[in-house]
Formats: sequence, C-alpha cells, structure tokens
Amino acid sequence: MSDLASFFLTYQSLFSFIGLNSLLALSVYCTLCCGQLSLANAGFMAIGAYAGALLTQNAHAPYALALLAGALVPALVAVPLGLPVLRLRGVYLAIATVGFGEVVRLGFVNWSYTNGALGLVAIPQKTQPWMIWLALAVVMFALARLRGSRAGYALEAIREDEPAARSMGIPSTRYKLSMFVAGAAIAGLSGALEAHLTYMVAPNGYGFSRAVDMLVYAVVGGDAVFYGPVAGAAFLTVLPEALRGAARTLGLSPGPLRMFVNGAILLGVILFLPNGIVSLPRTLRALRLRKASRAALG
Amino acid sequence: MRFGRWSFRLAAVVVPLALAACKGGGSSGDAVAGSSAQAKAPAKLGAALSMTGAAATYGQSQKNGLEAATEEVNASGSLQGIKLELLVEDDATSKEQGINVFQRFINTDKVSVIIGPTLSTTATAADPLAQQAKVPVLAISNTSPTGITDIGDYIWRDSLTEAQVVPGAVKKAKAKLGFKTAAVLYGNDDVFTKAGYDVMKKALADETVTVVDTQTFAKPDRDFSAQLTAIKGKKPDILVVSALADNAAAIVAQARQLGYAGPILGGNGFNSPAFIKNAGPAAEGVLVGTSWNSASTAPANQRFKELMQKRGTNPDQFSAQAYSGVLIIAEAVRKAGYKTGRDDIKNGFAQVKDLDTPLGKFSFTPSRDAQHEPAVQQVKDGKFQIVE
Amino acid sequence: MWQQAINGVFLGAIYALFAVGYALVFGVLDILNLAHQAVFTVSAFVALAFVAGGSMPLAIAMPVALLAAGLIGIGLERVAFRPLRGRSDSNISGLISSLAAATILEAVALQIWGPDVRRFPQGTFPDKPLSVLGATVSALQLTIIAVSVALMAALTALLRATRLGRQIRAVAESPRAARILGVDVDRVIAWSFFLSSALGGAAGVLFGVAFNSVSPDMGRSVELKGLAVIILGGMGSIAGAVIAGFALGLLEVLTVVQLGSSWRDAVSFGVLFLVLLVRPSGLLGKAAIREA
Repeated sequence: MSDLASFFLTYQSLFSFIGLNSLLALSVYCTLCCGQLSLANAGFMAIGAYAGALLTQNAHAPYALALLAGALVPALVAVPLGLPVLRLRGVYLAIATVGFGEVVRLGFVNWSYTNGALGLVAIPQKTQPWMIWLALAVVMFALARLRGSRAGYALEAIREDEPAARSMGIPSTRYKLSMFVAGAAIAGLSGALEAHLTYMVAPNGYGFSRAVDMLVYAVVGGDAVFYGPVAGAAFLTVLPEALRGAARTLGLSPGPLRMFVNGAILLGVILFLPNGIVSLPRTLRALRLRKASRAALG
Repeated sequence: MRFGRWSFRLAAVVVPLALAACKGGGSSGDAVAGSSAQAKAPAKLGAALSMTGAAATYGQSQKNGLEAATEEVNASGSLQGIKLELLVEDDATSKEQGINVFQRFINTDKVSVIIGPTLSTTATAADPLAQQAKVPVLAISNTSPTGITDIGDYIWRDSLTEAQVVPGAVKKAKAKLGFKTAAVLYGNDDVFTKAGYDVMKKALADETVTVVDTQTFAKPDRDFSAQLTAIKGKKPDILVVSALADNAAAIVAQARQLGYAGPILGGNGFNSPAFIKNAGPAAEGVLVGTSWNSASTAPANQRFKELMQKRGTNPDQFSAQAYSGVLIIAEAVRKAGYKTGRDDIKNGFAQVKDLDTPLGKFSFTPSRDAQHEPAVQQVKDGKFQIVE
Repeated sequence: MWQQAINGVFLGAIYALFAVGYALVFGVLDILNLAHQAVFTVSAFVALAFVAGGSMPLAIAMPVALLAAGLIGIGLERVAFRPLRGRSDSNISGLISSLAAATILEAVALQIWGPDVRRFPQGTFPDKPLSVLGATVSALQLTIIAVSVALMAALTALLRATRLGRQIRAVAESPRAARILGVDVDRVIAWSFFLSSALGGAAGVLFGVAFNSVSPDMGRSVELKGLAVIILGGMGSIAGAVIAGFALGLLEVLTVVQLGSSWRDAVSFGVLFLVLLVRPSGLLGKAAIREA
C-alpha cells in the first residue's frame, strides 16, 4: 500500500476531529466576540450529543432529525440559562458556566436511563466527513458575514465597553443572549456529529477539561477573527499526534513527555503570540521590519 | 484575498506537522506483518494504553505486564524463531486519541493484533474501527458486560467481566458469613466501578440480601467519611464496595477508623498489593472477589510474580491480565501454524484451550469473552489468601 | 449527627485553606490561578519525598514543602503571569497561561513519581482515635483542623498588622495608586504568590496526610470545589473563603446524609450557581462585579 494511501487512512479520523474541534472552537468564539468568557459549551455539547444519540437509538429517527435535535435542544436550554447568567461579567461568568457544565455532567453520570458513567454505545456511524465540513463551512460563512455588519459592530462595541455600548442604544442583553444560544447550538451540533462518528457517548468526555480545551483552541488560534479558532483547533488537534510521531522517531517511551510539551507549547503561544496563531505571519513581518529599520538607522 | 493567503499558511503549518507524525511511524512500519513469504517476520503487537490521564495507573501496570511477557516469550524461543514486537502508544484516556492510535496501528504500523485499550469507554469508540479493518483486538481490561465483544468477531478479551466474578464471590461470602443485610458503596463516575455495582446489586438480590443503604462516590474523591458514617448508622451486616485500588484503600481505612467493624467485600479493584500496602492493618479480613488469584502457586503465576518483582513493580490484576494477553497471542500464533497474519491470529484465538497463564487455565467462550476460574480471596496477615 | 458535623468541619478546613490561596491571588491580580491545584499536588509530593525518602519527621518536612511551594509560586508568577500583566484580556490569557503551567507541573510530577497513589509511611503521624461527645475523631484530624485554622489566622494577621500586609491590600485595591504611593508593586505581587502558593501547598500536605494518599491528579478533586468556595465566600475575601470553606464542607456532608451521596457534587455546584445569580459578591466579597 502506498505511503500516501496509508497516510490518508491513518489520519482520516484526525481530519474529522479537526473539523469537529473547529466547530467547538467557533462555538466558544461566539461568546468571546462579545466579550463573554463562557465555559458552558462542553455541557451544551453533551446535551446535543445525548439528544441526537437517544433519538437515533431509541426512536430510530432519521439522521437529519437527530442532528437538528442536537442543535436545538441545547439552544433551548441556553435561553433560560443565559438570561440570568449573562448578567455576570468576566471570571464570574466563567465560573458560573463551569458550574453549569459540572451539573450537566453529573446529571448524566447519575441518570440511569442513559447508563450513567457507561454512556450510550453502539451508536450507528452516520456521520460522513462531508457533513462535518459542510457544517463548518456554513458556520464560518455566517460568522464571516457578521464582520462588518451592523450586528458585528454592535458585538465589537459590547466587547470593548458594554456600559458605553448600552448607553448608545445597543440592546446588549439581546445580542449577548443570541450569541450564547448560537454557541450552544453549534456545540450541540458538533456533539451530535461526534456521537455518530465515534459510536458512543459518555459523560466523562464532556467535563471541565473539555470545556477548557475548547476555550484554548479559540484563544490560541486567535479570537479576534472568525478563522482564528479554526486554526487553533487544527493546530492543537494535530499537535498530540505530531508529538507522538516525533516521540516514536526519537525512541521515547509514551508518557508524560507529550503532556509536558503540549503544556509548554500552549504557554509559549499565550505568552508570545497574544493574538493567536493567525497573528504569526503579522508578528514575524513586524519583527523583520523592526530589524530592517534598526539596521537602516545604524 | 487575505483569507486565501492565510489558509495557505494554515495548511503550511498543519501539513508538515501531520507528515512528521506520519513519518515517525512510517519508518518503523515498513515490514508488513504476516506476509507468509517470510516465516520469520516479527509479529507486531500494538498496545493502546492509557499512560496519562485518569486511567494512567492501570496503563502503567499493563505496560509492565506486556513488556515482561514479550521478553519472556521471545527469550523462550517457543515460536519457532518468530519474535514478538511490542509497540506501546498512549491514548491519554481520551477516546479521540484512542481512535487515532488505532488508526495508526492499523494503517501505518500495520500490526497483526491490537491490545487494549485500557478503558471500556475508549474501546466502544475505537474497537469498531479494528473490526471494520479486520484486525483482531485483545482487550485486557475491558470489563463492561456489553458493548465490547458484541462489536464483532475480531474483538476478544481476556478480562473477566464483573458478572463472571462477583456472583460467585457474594455466594461464597454468604455461605461463610451468613449475612442478611448489606450496604453498598460504589464509584458512580467510573466505568469499571459502575459496571461492578450493577452486578453486585443483582447478585445481592439473587442471594436474598436486603440492601439497607447505597452510597456513591466519585473517582477523584479522597474523603468518604460522610458516606461511611451514614452507612454505619444503618448497621448493615456487610459492606460491599465497588472501587478501584486507590479509593479502595482509603475507603477501608476510613471505615475502620470511623468504627465500622463488620465484614467488607470488594470487587476486582481491590485485587492489588497496593491495596494492602495503602490500607495497612485496616485491610485485614477484607474479602475480595477477583479474576486473578494472586495467591495461586501455579508455575505460570509464580513466574509472572517473579518477573514483576524484578522490574520493581506490583503484580496486580491489570499486569496479570496484560501478561496473560501476550501468552494468549503467542499461543494463537502457534495454533495458527506459526503464522502471524491478522486472520491467523483471529482464528488462532478460537483454538486456545486451557492455556496456562497467571490467570489460571484460560480459554475463550464462544462469544469471545474470557473463561477461567475466578477466585475469592481474603486478606490474612497482610497477604491475600484463597478462600475455599 | 455529631459525627457528620465533625466530618464536615474537617473537610471544610482543608477546602478553606486551599481556597484562601485562590482568594489571595484573585484579590490582588484579578486572575484565577488554575495552577494552584498543581502546587497543592507538588507540595504533597515534596513532603512525602522528605518523609519517606529522607526519614524526616513531618513537622520539619512540612515547612520545607511550604517553602518549596512558595518558591514555585514565585516562579509561576514570573513566567506565566507577569508577561501578561499589561494586556487587556489578562484574565482570559492568565487563565490559560496558568492552565498551561498546571499541565507542565502535573507532567513533571507524573514523570518523577509515576501515576500510582502513594502513602505516607506508617507512623508518620500517631493515629489515635479519640471520642469527642460520642463522635470518633482522630488526633490527626484535630491537628489538621488546628493547623489549617492557625495558618489562616496567621495570614489574616499578616494582612492586617504588617507592612507587607498593608501593601498587599493597597495593591489589591488599586495597583496604580499603590505604585504612586511608593509601593514596589512587583515585589508585593511576588510575595502574594509566595503566600498563596505556600498555603495551597500546606493544604496539599495536610490533604495527603489526612487521607493518606498522594497522586499526581489529587488536585483535580479540590480544584473545582475551591472555585465554589471562593464564589460563596466572595472572591478576594480571605475571611469569606474561610467561612465558605467550612460551610461547604458541612453542606456536602449534610447532602450525603439527607439526599444521598450522588447528589453531593451537584448540590455544591447548584449552590455555586445560586450564589452567582442572587448575590455574586458572595458572603463577604468585593462588590461591583455586576453590570452597571
């Protein structure tokens, strides 16, 4: 079998995960772009995943319906949750959403209908890669359209200085809630797609670390523009596998080293690339310019 | 267009990384295992273990067991010159990485058989890929009663499910101690312990024991005083616990400390010298239903324990099942006529009968689950002893 | 019932000690330090290493571990937080940066000590059970409660009565004003991290001894509870963290008794939620975290 063919076979799942993680990163971006630090999306992802899987397994519903439920059910939950919670700011909002995520996870762990910690297994694999990429393309398109639009400016204003934006007549609560709900729907959709790709769902995959991972994808990629989170998701999804290959070539035994390097790279990006990976070309160019001008000035 | 340029740059970052990842494995994956033209090609075993993350303790044990057995089999030369080559990868207790590792083993390293993964939840996500690709999988620690071997005829396991271990233990304990009421404490957020609980509940009901209290804990917990105090208040005749080694030791120690003096029965998770070590004197008298008879004097078991001591690690259930797994694979190679292809090993598994392993005489059931004598043990004088 | 109360107070003492460190850093820098739980863990391992490997008595190993924890805290501040100080999104980037640091620390602990749970050697602490009003308490538990309270009292005294304490409070109020008044803000922040991490480390050692288990992932169980405590107590308030720590410990125990243990964590987070919705400043926290 040719090297290229085996390359594609080995990494087909990885490509799908890049797509799914990009969706998750964009769901966090929805709230970040109006200045909300929300860690609720792992909980929404869980709700979407379970909703979709239950419909497929117990009601034998067509896949499109399962996916629709995967997006809608979390969105419906997001409305009554968002109204009180979005009044909080900064770290308080973050912690409240962490609390929500934990309550969701614990709910599923204790729910015997879904087998608690064991979760749902043998979910038929209905997700095709094109579905993931289509969903991603649609979401990216929608977010791209937001930029430069009236709503986009409103969101930026809210992000910069919410009280000022409000005093200018922008209904900030409505905007924040809309983005919160949109984020929930996207995360839920990603969850439903993933459930039907990996054959199973279990509560422990949707905990605090998952929520933080999503945030990290978005921030590391660059949360100022809509394609930043996608870059971050792609980079951080590939990274553990790239490190695996590197470790194998170097003859290192599997273990904490990969974890260490992952953490170090994350730290490096946060410290040195404040606007994320997508700002790397810009930063390098600026450095080069600075060096050139320094040389020119003698 | 700006976007286009950046997506090119994005690809420029991602693709080389991905290629580097591929290269790393590709260089060692050139020999296709099992090509019948070369009878001396090594048999590649790909082990997907949790070396980091929540299941890291089990993965570490398993790696030790696998390595010891691989060395032993290769040194014995009992495969007519065929060597076993063990590849270990970390799935980081994550189903995504588990899937990636399986894909790598199947398509890049082209292994003959996959061992693992450590957790049943990862298995339910990754095993279907092996089944589709017709690569045999030998699970060495998946104890979930359904959802594992059900996946298909390429999925096998050497780990007894709790359903095969616990009822016998409960029966024997009842015969010995004659209890009428019980309290149950189990970890509800972990796949091993939750599956164990389901079986314990049923077994107690079958033995007409009344459950007076059921309490739960979560795997990261270290303090069980609230649950144990509540249980003590209900005065059960026996305390039945489904927990893994770390929690088990703390539970037993705290139970004694709080003044609960009655008998304690534990599941598979208790079956580790680490349990006795960490629980100290509180471990005395604890009954354990287990799939690995650590006190067995059978030569295979003695050799296993000896090799583990030499490596400076605890012989525990996880390493016992891992070690046995490699012996089973070696036997499958033999039964297949000293062939190492994927289907050879799969067919070889079906022929394995009464193989001497640290787990006892081992065979597979018709549904590819494990079959060997489980054991009931009791801690006496700081050691596990078999209960007749 | 009395027994459960003791259980609650014991648990609460450790939660409180852990949360106090969180509160201190948040009060001074407005940043949630997610590496706090990693320092908690590493400190326990350091103490274990000295007691088990070096045959040092716990009474000496503990201060050594605290010192190590404090130094790690200073290192953390230098590497992961100081470079981010000017930035507008410093609370998000600080969060992620501390997370990265936590991952690194945990990986190091995992590499050095392996994933298995370790135990303090027999006899590290005399384990005599005592009977207090019908409840069984061990000398160990009483000592831990006493040490926790003593450390928290010491911190409060330091903040109230010493020059450093006043400077810390000034920086917490307004770094710019403090600088104008001649306070060396960098040094004060470094000291805050030192103290915060030393206390977190103390919580780690006590936790490790109390439950006789030390493992690289031991911080995970307290990490989220610590958040609940500081929210309940009011972020930035030390006294609040103390009260809330004990309150949460008792609440958890009460939940187990009344509702059953599977509800325990859900109730803790439910309370977290309620507090954030109804009174986000918590019991004693700084005001002005709600939208105008």
